[in-house]
Amino acid sequence: MEQVSGEVGAFKATIRKKARYVNQDLCTGCGSCAEKCPTMVVDAYNAGMGKRKAIYKYFPQGIPSVFTIDAPECRQLGQGKKCGVCAKVCQAKAIDFDQKDAIIEIEAGAIILATGYDVFDPSVIPEYGYTTINNVVTALEFERLLSASGPTAGHLDRPSDLLMEKDLEEGEKEVKKLARQVKSLEDKHGKTSADVVAAVKSGSAAVDDELIQWAQAAEKLAALEERVATLQKKTAAVQTAKKLAFIQCVGSRDFRFNRFCSSYCCMHSVKEAMIANEHDNAVNSSIFCMDLRAVGRGFEEYKLRGGKQANIKYVRGRVAEITEDEANNPIVWYESTTTQKVEHETFDMVVLATACVPTEGTAKVAELFGVELESNGFFKTHPLAPLNTTRPGIFTCGCAQGPMDIPESVAQASSAAARAAEVVAPLATVEKQKAVG
Amino acid sequence: MVIGGGIAGIQAALDLAEMGIQVHMVERLPSIGGKMAQLDKTFPTNDCAI
Repeated sequence: MEQVSGEVGAFKATIRKKARYVNQDLCTGCGSCAEKCPTMVVDAYNAGMGKRKAIYKYFPQGIPSVFTIDAPECRQLGQGKKCGVCAKVCQAKAIDFDQKDAIIEIEAGAIILATGYDVFDPSVIPEYGYTTINNVVTALEFERLLSASGPTAGHLDRPSDLLMEKDLEEGEKEVKKLARQVKSLEDKHGKTSADVVAAVKSGSAAVDDELIQWAQAAEKLAALEERVATLQKKTAAVQTAKKLAFIQCVGSRDFRFNRFCSSYCCMHSVKEAMIANEHDNAVNSSIFCMDLRAVGRGFEEYKLRGGKQANIKYVRGRVAEITEDEANNPIVWYESTTTQKVEHETFDMVVLATACVPTEGTAKVAELFGVELESNGFFKTHPLAPLNTTRPGIFTCGCAQGPMDIPESVAQASSAAARAAEVVAPLATVEKQKAVG
Repeated sequence: MVIGGGIAGIQAALDLAEMGIQVHMVERLPSIGGKMAQLDKTFPTNDCAI
């Protein structure tokens, strides 16, 4: 959005339609381009846990089913290198490196702001160790781990174990490379590496630079082989996460950050614990909360079902700190308000139920559309007209208005549509009458 | 005009379209779906989110 002018019934908006560098009418969404694209980019859709190509679809089922080039990451567009592989493989001839942003003017009788929310960044709470402990993840990251279309194809692999596997893979590659070097030296000189190492160590006369390097390589290889062997043993013993902790109110109901309740996270955690148990019946979860808010039709029953059928334990107490043991297991320290004692428990993984906060651009959107924000940074509405912003003809719904779950968002959206129709429909009728008359 | 193509924006746009009103949807990302597209299942029915 570039500019908005006019008033209720006759808004005029200027919109910048960003270049996809792919012709939307020609692209068939086949994906050959992404298959061959040489550039890997961190995947925002998978909460940064996976990789995608520089030409991509935001997610497999994404609509419109058209690929887009991530210009800053693209070798040709962003880095000025010669590439164009996607254009070569595209049978539909849809790639268009010369596409430009388009400016579109739209006239609208009413506007609905449904700009959604951002997830609170828990790295500002150092005691929860989000940036220092690998097996502490956010609820959205956990959601991607659970998803069959996610980075682990739905297996609850712990991030620390994934890192270890990557480490092992790299180690094995390096061992192969070094072994080849040493082997070629052995073949060339007809000596064993052990003899050379011994000769270099004893400082015997015939030692030259090549032999010293050979000995160093051989010693490095031995050390690497040992490391790889330990890693192999460790990765072979790796299991998916079985014991989970969910920490509620991370960034919400907290006077340091947001005072409000994010409303959906209690149920979100129950759901994630239930799905994890559905994938693997050996999974059991503890949900650490001040109180579990299951307000909504069928929610209380859902919570109880989780407790009875999905091995969920509800613990009343706010978590003070998360530490880590040598096996990368997070340890949760909390005050149980039931026993009135400070207790701790070790888990395989910890999931932070992060707060729902206004999107980064909300203030800018508000300025652009000339609407006010409330004290928490969401669009301001009146309690008796919860979809009306402070400017007539502009409505809001969903998490742009405040934290809410999907059923509530959908209900609000339908209401906002009705409100907008109240403005637009009479205008349309007048126009029709004019056309007839 | 609907700003945002998440679950709220999509629902609002569909409702308006069903009333016979022309709707323009403006979305920042290349695909619509918003946060809900990142979810695996939804409560309280454990239905698939997509």
